[in-house]
Amino acid sequence: MTAMGDDWMNALLKRVCIGVVALFAAAAIWLPCVHLVFTGSPANFHRPEGLSPKARQLAARHLALWTEPDLKRGELDRMRASNAEWDSMGRSFLVWSLANMGLREPASKAAYLKVIDQIIDETVRLEAQEGIYFFLMPYAKAQPYVTQPARSLFVDGEIALMLACRRVLEEKPEYQRALAERVRLIVGRLERSRLFAVESYPDECWTFDHAVAHAAIRLADYLDGTDHSALLRQWVSIAKEKLLHRQSSLLVSSFNLDGAPLDGPEGSTIWMVAHCLQLLDEDFARDQYERARRELGRTLCGFSFAREWPASWRSPMDIDSGPVIPVLGASAGASGMAFIGAAAFHDDSFLRSLAASLEFAAFPSCQDGRLKYCASNQVGDAALLYATVLGPIWEKVKTPRKL
Amino acid sequence: MKRSLFRRCVDLCRAQFCSPKDFVVRAALLVVLFVIAHVAGLREYTSFLSGTAGSLEVSWRWGAFLGLCYLALYLAVVILVPILLLAATLLAGWEHFRAKC
Repeated sequence: MTAMGDDWMNALLKRVCIGVVALFAAAAIWLPCVHLVFTGSPANFHRPEGLSPKARQLAARHLALWTEPDLKRGELDRMRASNAEWDSMGRSFLVWSLANMGLREPASKAAYLKVIDQIIDETVRLEAQEGIYFFLMPYAKAQPYVTQPARSLFVDGEIALMLACRRVLEEKPEYQRALAERVRLIVGRLERSRLFAVESYPDECWTFDHAVAHAAIRLADYLDGTDHSALLRQWVSIAKEKLLHRQSSLLVSSFNLDGAPLDGPEGSTIWMVAHCLQLLDEDFARDQYERARRELGRTLCGFSFAREWPASWRSPMDIDSGPVIPVLGASAGASGMAFIGAAAFHDDSFLRSLAASLEFAAFPSCQDGRLKYCASNQVGDAALLYATVLGPIWEKVKTPRKL
Repeated sequence: MKRSLFRRCVDLCRAQFCSPKDFVVRAALLVVLFVIAHVAGLREYTSFLSGTAGSLEVSWRWGAFLGLCYLALYLAVVILVPILLLAATLLAGWEHFRAKC
């Protein structure tokens, strides 16, 4: 009986050992190949001219959101339950995308302009009716803004850039006045601060919002023949002097009105900041992108992702980072924004492997030619759409205008 | 006589632990569970990865749990199932080779 039991146990052990070896061998074959299933050409995602297939599918879904009220309400309610900011950002990224798409595909310009105007008008109306807090997180009300009357650079900057992009696509006199007023307000506040720091939240300034606002000013200069180049140069110079994280030399993501950093560099901020800097200081923009790529970009088995923080800076997870995958430090927010950096700086290899990760881990769902990523949300998808089409507006503004 | 499909399934389920059949059964089970989760619409709940509720009709925690279940099953199907099937092929090849020697 004991001998039989020993034989049975030995046979089982042998089988398990051989089975485990087979599993390891299979894993060694499969794991390096998984990415091949999900890797496509970068041209599927972003191309120099025209619209990529992904851009077309993502845009179809977003255009449907603005023509089917129930769909839009459901999507915005889900997002606003987590973060009211995303409502504003989703609108902004979509308008910026549609403006670029209009330049890429002039035949569809009229359709894009209709949705752009609908979004801008509704956003401005909501801001006027409900106040700036409608697009901010609740802690904005926790204390008064230092600079009165209370305004948020987050809201002003995004609306200004929406108006400016729309006007680059096609002029609209009402928006000319609206943009001029918005820029006047932003510039007035920038000039009142020794460090060109403007609040998005009470005594809280965000580099992302400053970069967006400065891009809007740059576009306004292009459109209206104004000249804020000295102010823009000064801001970049102060940013280089005061806002660089000592260890990584990446721009910090937030600071107070005295210029003291509140957060270190963050992946959810730096990629878009580098893209906006392309309008202000190309060399600095490239420097920030390359540093971000080195400090935050990671590739594993053919899949790329972005970390929310560099190794030299740690911070607790927040609404911007989203859940961060332990060990890898991968963040959905940072990885989504990395697409904008990779597309803006023509980093095709990074873009290809980021897109492989997107197809692998963001759960695409395409119905009737409308694409969404289930792991994402409307603002995430709108940021991805922006990454697929960005370029033409920036290129147009960088080209001197013939008057 | 031709064995029924049911009989074949029963035989498969009785496969020896760590045998090629055992790996195939486990792979099939994972695929079935994933298909159930997919058909049940759990893919929508993976939005917890971006900090967004999959649905406002369920609590955040429950939604995140459903999303996590889907994520685990999806990773099992994309990563584990091919490994199990490859391992089954390697094992079957090894057994065939040994039987010949």
